[in-house]
Amino acid sequence: MLFWVIAALLTLGASLAVLLPLAGRSAVRAADGAHDLEVYRDQLAELDRDAGRGLIQPAEAGEARAEIARRILKAGKAAAAGSVGLGGGSTRALGVAAVLAVPLVSWGIYTAIGSPDLPSQPLAARLEKNPADATVDELVARAEAHLAANPQDGRGWDVLAPIYARLGRFDEAVTAYSNAIRLDGASAGRESGLGEALAGVAGGMVTAEAQAAFSRALQLEPGQPKARFFLASALAQEGKVAEALEAWQAMMITLPPDSPWRGAVAQAVQEANSRLAAAGNEAPPGPTQQEIDAVASMSAEDRTAMIEQMVAGLDERLRENPRDLEGWQRLVRSYHVLGRGDEARDALKRGTAALGQDSAEGRQLAEFSTSLGLTAAE
Amino acid sequence: MVEIGHFALVLAFALALVQSVVPLVGARTSNSRMMAVAEPVSMAGFGLVLLAFAVLTVSYAQSDFSVANVWENSHSLKPFIYKITGTWGNHEGSMLLWVLILTFFGALVALFGGNLPATLRATVISVQGWIGAAFLLFILATSNPFARLTPAPIEGRDLNPILQDIGLAIHPPLLYLGYVGFSVCFSFAVAALIDGRIDASWARWVRPWTLAAWSFLTGGIAMGSYWAYYELGWGGFWFWDPVENASFMPWLAGTALLHSAIVMEKRSALKIWTLLLAILTFSLSLLGTFLVRSGVLTSVHAFATDPSRGVFILCILTVFIGGSLALFALRAPSLTAGGLFQPISREGALVLNNLFLTTATATVLVGTLYPLVVEALTGDKISVGAPFFNLTFGPLMIPLLVLVPFGPLLAWKRGDVLAAAQRLMTAFAGTLLAVLATMLFIDGATVLAALGIGLATWLVLGALTDLALKAGFGSASPGTMLRRLTGLPLSMFGTALAHLGLGLTTLGLVGVLSFESEHILTMKPGETTEISGYVLRFDEIAPVQGPNFTESRAKFSLLDAAGKPYGEIVSSKRFYPVRQMPTTEAGIKTMGLSQLYVSLGDETADGSLVVRIWWKPLVTLIWGGTLAMMAGGAVSLFDRRLRVGAPARRRREAIEPAAAS
Amino acid sequence: MTRKQKRLSVIAGGLGFLAVAVGLTFYALGQKASYFYMPADLANVTLEPGQRIRLGGLVEKGTIVRDQGTEVEFSVTDTERSVKVAYSGILPDLFREEQGVITEGSFGPDGVFVADSVLAKHDENYMPKEVADSLKAKGVWQEETQ
Repeated sequence: MLFWVIAALLTLGASLAVLLPLAGRSAVRAADGAHDLEVYRDQLAELDRDAGRGLIQPAEAGEARAEIARRILKAGKAAAAGSVGLGGGSTRALGVAAVLAVPLVSWGIYTAIGSPDLPSQPLAARLEKNPADATVDELVARAEAHLAANPQDGRGWDVLAPIYARLGRFDEAVTAYSNAIRLDGASAGRESGLGEALAGVAGGMVTAEAQAAFSRALQLEPGQPKARFFLASALAQEGKVAEALEAWQAMMITLPPDSPWRGAVAQAVQEANSRLAAAGNEAPPGPTQQEIDAVASMSAEDRTAMIEQMVAGLDERLRENPRDLEGWQRLVRSYHVLGRGDEARDALKRGTAALGQDSAEGRQLAEFSTSLGLTAAE
Repeated sequence: MVEIGHFALVLAFALALVQSVVPLVGARTSNSRMMAVAEPVSMAGFGLVLLAFAVLTVSYAQSDFSVANVWENSHSLKPFIYKITGTWGNHEGSMLLWVLILTFFGALVALFGGNLPATLRATVISVQGWIGAAFLLFILATSNPFARLTPAPIEGRDLNPILQDIGLAIHPPLLYLGYVGFSVCFSFAVAALIDGRIDASWARWVRPWTLAAWSFLTGGIAMGSYWAYYELGWGGFWFWDPVENASFMPWLAGTALLHSAIVMEKRSALKIWTLLLAILTFSLSLLGTFLVRSGVLTSVHAFATDPSRGVFILCILTVFIGGSLALFALRAPSLTAGGLFQPISREGALVLNNLFLTTATATVLVGTLYPLVVEALTGDKISVGAPFFNLTFGPLMIPLLVLVPFGPLLAWKRGDVLAAAQRLMTAFAGTLLAVLATMLFIDGATVLAALGIGLATWLVLGALTDLALKAGFGSASPGTMLRRLTGLPLSMFGTALAHLGLGLTTLGLVGVLSFESEHILTMKPGETTEISGYVLRFDEIAPVQGPNFTESRAKFSLLDAAGKPYGEIVSSKRFYPVRQMPTTEAGIKTMGLSQLYVSLGDETADGSLVVRIWWKPLVTLIWGGTLAMMAGGAVSLFDRRLRVGAPARRRREAIEPAAAS
Repeated sequence: MTRKQKRLSVIAGGLGFLAVAVGLTFYALGQKASYFYMPADLANVTLEPGQRIRLGGLVEKGTIVRDQGTEVEFSVTDTERSVKVAYSGILPDLFREEQGVITEGSFGPDGVFVADSVLAKHDENYMPKEVADSLKAKGVWQEETQ
C-alpha cells in the first residue's frame, strides 16, 4: 500500500514538473544577442590584458580588436531583428500530451515489468525469523554462516555437503565435500559424494575427475555401491555398454538384498540390455557415427535417470519435512515436466494437505499448479 | 522499498522523453513556456535516478537477494565497503551510475545555465534528454538492476574478487564523470548545429565542461592503470588492451578539444573544428561503452557479456554518432568562420597540437578496431598489441612532446619561433645536462633512455620557463615578480601545471621502461636475494583467514646494503571460495619515487615459492604526473574568464533584470 | 608568399603529415599484428621462423610440468591437436587445467612454442573470445546456460 502512495506522489511531482512551467507565465527573456555582447566585451578587456603581458603584438591586438568590434556590430543587428514565436493549438496539444505522457508511460511500463507486491527482503531480517518457519534454504544459509565463521569445522561441511547435493546445488556440494575431505580426511562416503557432486556439476556426465573420486572411494572401501554404480555409468557413457552391463550385473550379485541401490542397478541393467539389443539389430556398418549417436542418447537417458533419482530424493524429503511450499512446487513441476501427471496430481494433493487447504501457502500451491494446467480434482 | 527505486527509474524514463521533445519544440518555435519545462524536468529526472540509485545501494548494503542484481554480485560476508561499491561493480549498476551522472550534468546545466541564451539552454537540455532516454531505455529493456527473484535466494554469488578493491571502487565513477561529462559538450555542439549558429558564449560554456570532464577522465584512467598495476600482479600499468584504449581514445580527443576550445573561446576561430571534436569525443566515449559492454573484442578486462546488450548499444551508437555527424555535414557549412591567424602563432601551435592528437586518436582507433575488421572480412583472427602502438603512437607523441613548451610562448595571431626558442635556451641547456648526466652517471643507460630522460626534463623545464617568463624573471625585482605572478590568470597556472604533469608522467614512463629490473626466482623461508642495492629476505609464509577469503601471506624483510632492516613487504595469494577464484595481492614498498614490487607464484615441488620481484624506478611519477594534470585542469576551471556570466552574475541579474539587456 | 599560397602550403603540410601517419599505421599493422591460431590451425599455415603468433586453446589435462625454478611447460589443445608450450614466469591466477588460455610468443627450433605471455581469463564466467569461438565451431564447448 505504502508503495502505491509513494509511487503516486512521485508521479504527481514529476507531472507537476512538466505542468507548472507550461501553465506558468511566459517569461520575458533577454534576446540571445545580449549574451554575446557580454562575452565580446569581456574578450576586448582580455585582449588588453594579454597585450599588456606581451602575449600578443600591438599590431595583431589592433586587428583582433577590429575583429571583435565587427562581431559586436553583427550581434547588435541580429538582436534587433529578433524572432517571432509560433503559438496556438499545435503547441498546446503537445503540452497536454507531454503532461499526460508522464503518468501514462511510467505506469504503463512499470505495470509490465515491475513487481509491486514484492517487498524488500534484507538478509538480516530474514535470518531473524524463527527457525521453525525457515525454509530449507534458510536453514542452509544459517549453516553457511556458521561455516563461514568457522571454516575449519569439517563436521559442518560433512553435514552440509549431501544437503547441497540433494538441493541440486552441485557446485557448492563439490566445495563442501572437498572441504570435509581436506579437514576430516577422506572416507569412502565423502569421496563418492564428491564424485556424485562432480557428476552433477557436469550435468550427469561422470567426468574423469568424478571417476577419480569414485576410484579413491573404492580404494577406501572396496565394493562401495555408489562408487561402483557411477563407475559403471561412466563406462556406459564412454560407449562401453557391454562392460558397464557386466559391472552392473556383478553389482546385482554382490549387493545385499535390502540395499537401496538394487532398484537403480536393476533399471540400469535393463536399459543397458535393451541398448545392446538395439545396437545388435541394426548391425552398424561403420561404427563411428552410430557410436557417437549412441553415446549422445545414452548420456541423455542417464541424465533422465539422474533427474528421476533427484526427484525421488525430493519426494522423500518432503515426506519427512512437509511444510515447504517451495519444495512442493518444485516436486509438482518436476513430475509435470517428466510427463507423470498422476504423480504430479498426487504430489499436489499431498502438498495441499500438508500446507493446509485454506492457508496462504496452500492457495499459492494451488495457483502454481493451475498455472501448469493441473488441478487436484482431475 | 526496492520497487520504489524501480518505479523511480521508469518515471525518470518518462520524464526523459518529455525532456527530449518539449523544450526542443519550444526552442524551435520560440515558445518560452515550453522551453521553461527544461529546467524542472531535468532536475526532477536527476532526483528520480538518484532515488533509484540510492535504493539499489541500500539493497546492496542490506544484502537483499530478492534483487537479482544483488544476488549475482554480492555476498552477505563481503566487507561492507565492497557491498556498497559492488553497486557499480557490475554491468547493470554501472549503467545506472552512468545515467545518474548524465542526469546530474543535465541538472547542472539547468541550474547554472542562467547566463546562456534561453534557446541554447533549452536545446542543450533536450539533447541531454535524448541521451538520457536512450540509456534509460537500454537499462530498462536489457539490463534492469531491479529485476527480482522470488523466492529470494539466501546467499549471493559474490563480486568478482579482483573487483573487490578500493581502486576499482573509485575508478568507474571517475571514468564515467569523464565520459559523461563530454556528453554536455556533445549536447552543446548538437544544439549549436540545430540552432544553426554558435553564440559567442558557446565556447565559454563548453570549455569548463571539457576541463571538468577531461580532469575526471584523466583521474579515472590513472586510477584504472594503478589498479591494474597493483592488483593483477604482473606489475604492468598499461597493456594497450581494447578496454583501456576505449577510455584512452576519448581522452586523446578530449585533450584536443580542450586545446581547440581555447582558440575558439579567445579568438572565436576554429568553431567548426571544435564542434566536430566535441561530437567525436563523446562518440568515442559511446564507442568505448559499446566495446566494453558488448564483448566484441577480446579483453582481459571483459565483463561477462551479453550480445543483446551489444546490439542495443550499437543502435544507440549508430543513431547518435550517425545522426550528429549527418547534422554536422548539413549545418556546418552555414556556420561563420572566426578570427584569422598566421600559421606560426599560438593558434597555429594549438592546431598542430590538434593535428597530432587526433591523428594519434585515429591510430589507436585503427589498432583497436582492426582485428574486428579483419575477422569480418577474411575470418583471420589477429591481435594488435603493444608492438603496434609503440611503432605508431610513439612516433606521433614524441614530436608533440618536443613541441609542447613552444606553444605557450608563442603570441596570439602571429608568433616568432626564434624568439620563443631563445627564451627556451635555459630549459634546453638543462635538458642537455640531464641527458649527459644520465649517460655518464647511470650504469646501463642507453642513448634512448638518456634522450627519454631529456624529453621529460625538457617538458618540466619548459613548463617552469613559461611561468618564469610571465612573471618577468630576470628582468624585474622579486616584488614585481610576485605581483605579476599572483596577477596571472589561473588558466595560465593550469596550463603550466598540466604540462609539468605531462613531463612527470613521461619521466616515470622512461624510468620504468628503461631502468626497470626484474628477478624471477624460487625462494625458501630464510633465503635472501639482492635487488638494486637492497637485500630482500623471505621470512615466512603463513595462512590467514580474511572476511570472505583465505590467503597465504608471505612476509619479506628489506635490508639495506649494510644489512640493516629497512622495511617489511607483505605479499599474498588469496582464495575466494564463493567464486573459487584466486587473486594475487602484490607487496609494494615505495621508496622515494620508486617502488619495489613483489608478487607470489606457485609453490614448487620442494616447498619453495616462486617469487617475482621488480625494481620500478620513478614509477610513482606516472600517476603523480596525472595528478598534476588533473590539478591543472581543476585550477583552470576556477579561472575568472570562465565565470563571465556564471552563477554569481546570474544572481545579480535576478535582482536587476534589466541589466543584461 | 600570398595568403592563398600560405594556406595551401599549410594544407599540404597537414596532408603530408597525415600521409606519413597512415603509411606508418599500415606498415605497423603489417609487421606487428600477430595472428591467432588454435593448435589444429597450425597444420594449414606456414610460419616464418621466429614469427610471433598468439596460440589459444585449453590447457591439456595432466600436462603441466613445473621444474624446480620458474620454468613451466604445458600443452595447449583444441582437442584435435596439442602443442607444447614453454613459459618462464608466474602464471596468471586463473591458469588451470582444462581452462582457456591465450599464449603469445613464437616457435623455437625444436617445435616447442616459447611463450612470453600467458593470458587466462579474469572472471570465471569469461573465456577468451577467440578460444570460445573456435571451440564452439568445433563443438567442444557449449555456452553455459543459467
